[in-house]
Amino acid sequence: MYQRQITKENSVFIILILIGFFFVIGKFSTPVNLIKSFIYYISYPNLNAANDIFYCVDNFANNIKSIVCMRQENILYKRKNQELIDKLRNYDAISQKYEELSKLLKLKKINNTVSVFARVLVRESDEWYRWLIIDKGFNDGLYNELPVVMFNKNKDNLCAVGRIIETYKNSAKVILITNSVCMLPVEIKDKNINCLAEGFDSNLLKITYIPAEADVKKGDELIVSGLSSIFHKGMPVGVIKSITNAISRDFKTATAKVFFESNIIYNAVILVPKE
Amino acid sequence: MKNLIYYIIFYIVFCLLQFSFSKYINFFGKFPNFILIFIVYIGLSKGSMFAQLMGFLFGLTWDVFSTDFFGIRTIMFTIIGYFSGKLNKNFDGDKILTQYVVVFLASVVYKLGTNLICYVILSNKDYNFLILDSSLKIFITVLIAPVIFYILNYVKKEI
Repeated sequence: MYQRQITKENSVFIILILIGFFFVIGKFSTPVNLIKSFIYYISYPNLNAANDIFYCVDNFANNIKSIVCMRQENILYKRKNQELIDKLRNYDAISQKYEELSKLLKLKKINNTVSVFARVLVRESDEWYRWLIIDKGFNDGLYNELPVVMFNKNKDNLCAVGRIIETYKNSAKVILITNSVCMLPVEIKDKNINCLAEGFDSNLLKITYIPAEADVKKGDELIVSGLSSIFHKGMPVGVIKSITNAISRDFKTATAKVFFESNIIYNAVILVPKE
Repeated sequence: MKNLIYYIIFYIVFCLLQFSFSKYINFFGKFPNFILIFIVYIGLSKGSMFAQLMGFLFGLTWDVFSTDFFGIRTIMFTIIGYFSGKLNKNFDGDKILTQYVVVFLASVVYKLGTNLICYVILSNKDYNFLILDSSLKIFITVLIAPVIFYILNYVKKEI
């Protein structure tokens, strides 16, 4: 019985407090003053009471007006906010592009070559590792068999991508080093071991003709060897991922991941020799 | 029924006392909080339920007659009524020391609670948490509390 009474007391207390907070948060001062003044005016009609009523009504109307204005402002600010978010998104994209381009400009110049910057127009998904089309052609001084390189974000240098095989007025087709019909003479960096990189139609290259006794480890970097007629000697190609244990004809093979695949390809650089 | 009439009369008397006689009964410009004393009295004699309802009613009335933020006194008097009612089984409301202590605590809670609501919910930075500026009012309220308690007890016995 006593417990039930306590529960009842607590429930009533919570209800009363909630009503109190509703009054406070609802800010009912102006409507209450209005009603109060109105009742007072009915009881004792006089100028002061009438003045109070008009004052309260004015306040009340102003409050309503403020709410409406605030709502309109809120809508306006939300719209502006959305516009600013869009601008910020564009700015981020531009900033990223600017950073990439400024890094390209800072690259060490390759002797006796002119760099032509091109955008990738087409890279088909079913032939992703075979070829791509760039937006520069013979109008820009390009011709077949020119080396195409790309910026390697991780290393801040240019890495081998492919060579031009077809040139048109304003576009050119580039065969990638990962294409299965491509082969590239490479060497293991700092070890002077010459071998051959064959395309695999994937982001991996098959490295063949590695001497059986050669000290090749996972993580070794591959660069273009002096035997290449397309690329400049020393240009980064990829990194060794695995080495096969089976030895055939005194050679062993390995797989390497190409550098250019670590970035999304948008911009290509074509190295045109100076005449 | 008799009790109800008795409390309605007290309600009217204390409302009149609080809202109409401040010009005549003040000490150094400070007017005691008669309503707070009455709520504490009901709490100590009748318990939580009645005290919190009376607190709510008095608070609402005071809020209606005041130009201040509506609802603050309703909350504070309800809280004071509830907690002073919780003390009625453990403390003897007839003892003067109990009356002093409970009225003092209720006054401090009232002052701090009012300022806290204004500061936190209404973001009114003009309110501060110093009770020094209200200490004279609290002192007068505490001092007058036993007199009010005595009168209320006397009237209750006579009726």
